[in-house]
Amino acid sequence: MSADERADLPAAPTSREIARALDRALEVRQRLRDRSPRETATALAAAARRWIEDEELHRGLPAVARLSAPMVGSVLPRVAAALDVEAMVELVNRERGMSPPPGLVAAVVASNVPALAVPAIALGCLAGAAVLVKSGRGDPLSAPAFHRALAAVDPELAATVVPAYWPGGTSALEQAALARAEVVVASGSDLTMEALRRRVGRRLVAHGTRTSVVALDIRRERCLDTLVRAVALDVVLYDQRGCLSPQVALVAGDREAFADALVRALAALRPILPPGEATLEERAAIRLAIEEASWAGAHAVRAGLGGTVLVETWADLRPGPGGRTIRVCPLDSLRALPTALPLGRIECIAIYGDEVDVAALEARGVARLCQPGRMQDPPLAWPRGQRPALGSLLRPDDPMRTLLDERTLPASAMRTCPEAP
Amino acid sequence: MRQHIIWRELAEPVPGLDGLLEATQVLERQGEPLPGIGERLVEGNRFAVARHGILGTALGDQIHGLVVQGILVGHTRSLAGCACRGELLGSSVSLLAELAATIRAAGPAARGFPFERWAWRVFEYQYERNPAYRQLCDRRGISPRTVARWQDIPAVPAAAFRQADLACGPAEAVFRSSGTTAGDGMRSRHAVPSLDLYRASAVPTFAHFLLPDAVRLPMLALLPPPELAPASSLVRMCAWVGEELCTGVEWFADDTGLRRDALQARLVAAADSGEAVVLAGPTAAFAALFESGWRVRLGPGSRLMDTGGAKGMCRPLSRAGFLRACWHHLGLAAYWCVNEYGMSELCSQRYESVLHERFAGASLAPRRLLAPPWLRTRVLDPDTLEEVSAGAPGLLCHHDLANAGSVAVVLTDDLGRAVDDGIAVLGRVPGAPARGCGLLLRELDER
Repeated sequence: MSADERADLPAAPTSREIARALDRALEVRQRLRDRSPRETATALAAAARRWIEDEELHRGLPAVARLSAPMVGSVLPRVAAALDVEAMVELVNRERGMSPPPGLVAAVVASNVPALAVPAIALGCLAGAAVLVKSGRGDPLSAPAFHRALAAVDPELAATVVPAYWPGGTSALEQAALARAEVVVASGSDLTMEALRRRVGRRLVAHGTRTSVVALDIRRERCLDTLVRAVALDVVLYDQRGCLSPQVALVAGDREAFADALVRALAALRPILPPGEATLEERAAIRLAIEEASWAGAHAVRAGLGGTVLVETWADLRPGPGGRTIRVCPLDSLRALPTALPLGRIECIAIYGDEVDVAALEARGVARLCQPGRMQDPPLAWPRGQRPALGSLLRPDDPMRTLLDERTLPASAMRTCPEAP
Repeated sequence: MRQHIIWRELAEPVPGLDGLLEATQVLERQGEPLPGIGERLVEGNRFAVARHGILGTALGDQIHGLVVQGILVGHTRSLAGCACRGELLGSSVSLLAELAATIRAAGPAARGFPFERWAWRVFEYQYERNPAYRQLCDRRGISPRTVARWQDIPAVPAAAFRQADLACGPAEAVFRSSGTTAGDGMRSRHAVPSLDLYRASAVPTFAHFLLPDAVRLPMLALLPPPELAPASSLVRMCAWVGEELCTGVEWFADDTGLRRDALQARLVAAADSGEAVVLAGPTAAFAALFESGWRVRLGPGSRLMDTGGAKGMCRPLSRAGFLRACWHHLGLAAYWCVNEYGMSELCSQRYESVLHERFAGASLAPRRLLAPPWLRTRVLDPDTLEEVSAGAPGLLCHHDLANAGSVAVVLTDDLGRAVDDGIAVLGRVPGAPARGCGLLLRELDER
């Protein structure tokens, strides 16, 4: 049985079924055009609270997403927390501007981590659009579950949302569905985005391959233990499969001691957040990373039950193999951080220490700064790829970039020990 | 016992020589230098001549004036009264030369090739002469004295070829992997101290799997000539094959990429005359040729070797799709189309069994990648690096004796599984750098 014929995947709709559902969604959306952002935000927040209680979701998601049940139980509330009423209203006030809402926003959601459909639906609704969410095969459940929750609290708003799943390569269906959208938001590999752009053109808001890192200055360290536990949590959540998962820790200070402590922290998290089942490809990627690091030196690999830490002698910022494997690389100081980063490839940095040059990080394309331990808790306003979360739906061909907002992480916070996770 | 000698002026039969001389190179004939002729085999006092080379007939008494460098296996005492002069050579040269001679003498179809015996010798040799490899072995507490099985000889990851020079001596050539996206620092660099050993492995293996009918055909290479791609091991191999096994090589790529018009014109000419040809090149180059929709029906006996898989293709093409396209666009039935699996880090290659088996009357055997007996591949569990059960998927780890000059055991970025006596490649590990000869033409395009 091929992956796309799995019994736990929903059947793909026909083109006609999708067309009918979209007709209805657009019609209802038209009726709701005078709704206030607060009313929409309130409904979305209520739906989110309901969604995390969805039994069907909790039952089915671990298997399809290949995450352990405790992991699913841990990440769903984090997703729901981003749908905070006040934060959503503020986002609308800040980014909506005078642009008319698009008729239909189509979100093609990646499969690497679950529940990406939820913020996609929320942003579409806040933009005042009807929303088509095409789930990936790694999570065809979150979107229908959120749709059910929304229908329970606000049937009219729910009627503007069309969750759908179809296997990749169902091109006729995809063509028909995406053709009607005024904006297509998609995330996936650079290759997939390139192919999609050829079909969708300027209507596409593409989120290609990006990765995240941790940058720490631990030379005058006061809270190494807390820091290490926070970084371990960032690594472990979602089994390190998201673009917000750190692949590299750039460390100014004693990297060996940091690596030893991190291996212990990863091991401590394992019974609490057990890993899901890894595929052959994932296991092979980890093995090759370990073998490559072993080649470099005797003390390069710290392999523990909870994950693997590779101590590098240079700033090797290649995307890692995932599976709770992180490279620890040298950094002279946080002032040297921007020059260590590849241009336009780093999404988020969890940062700790002095001398952070925020403007220089922004110029390298970094989209988000946060404290260690908070990487997997992005706000709905997270400007992926420096594109404004809501503004890019309203003005997809506007090349505007959102600047890093220091208010989300004041300099003082960069010097504050993170809360113990 | 073995002795490395230069054997000169063999004017008389060697009296009582009951050993075997494996000469690896004829240096001189009648005072004229003759480099690179290939091996000659002296058995007792009788020459047995290998199938190729300038002196391609039994030499008999025409051996006056030959100066031969080789390895004597037998009783040195019996040489005492013969008209030859022995001279010991440095063993660093001689192990590679001896292995090349052994490989040539055995051939790709050999049963009972002494793989394990050679695996030990090669490991000892590499442990002694390759400092980077020795460091790795020492870190793992493994040395030739402690290894119990050939399977325990340490593998280096393919990535190591991106980071260090792994040669056991001065390199005669350095081959580099192709790869446009990863940048120069991400390319493998395989320093090869003995091109003769590479040639000894590559050429007969090509003959075995592509030319089982021993015909000599023109080779049309969808590749740049060696002067444009001196670091391509594939180009080097095709040049040798053209020289030794074919009537010549015509190169159909240059610094602008594939010369499609010239290639098409040549194929039309071949088709019109009924001339059979050997096509060789990256799978991606064939796919590019097929893109235009152009068609021809090549003459009977024409065949194709492709390598590199989907790398470098504009659009993905399955293996079945590729074979259909070969029939549709070139008129080549699937059994004339042979996929090669090779890496710049290895001096030996695997080939699909299909053409060889058709000539051997085993057409129903499954398509799989077979190797000469001096290359073994183990399929390993990524967690334990132990061999998986038969047919299960895992990481491919090659033990290539023809790599005696660098590192013989290479853990690749490829996933595969065993299929009978061969393997099938399932793909590359995600995140592994894009590489391979499929990208060679794209590189030329981008120059």
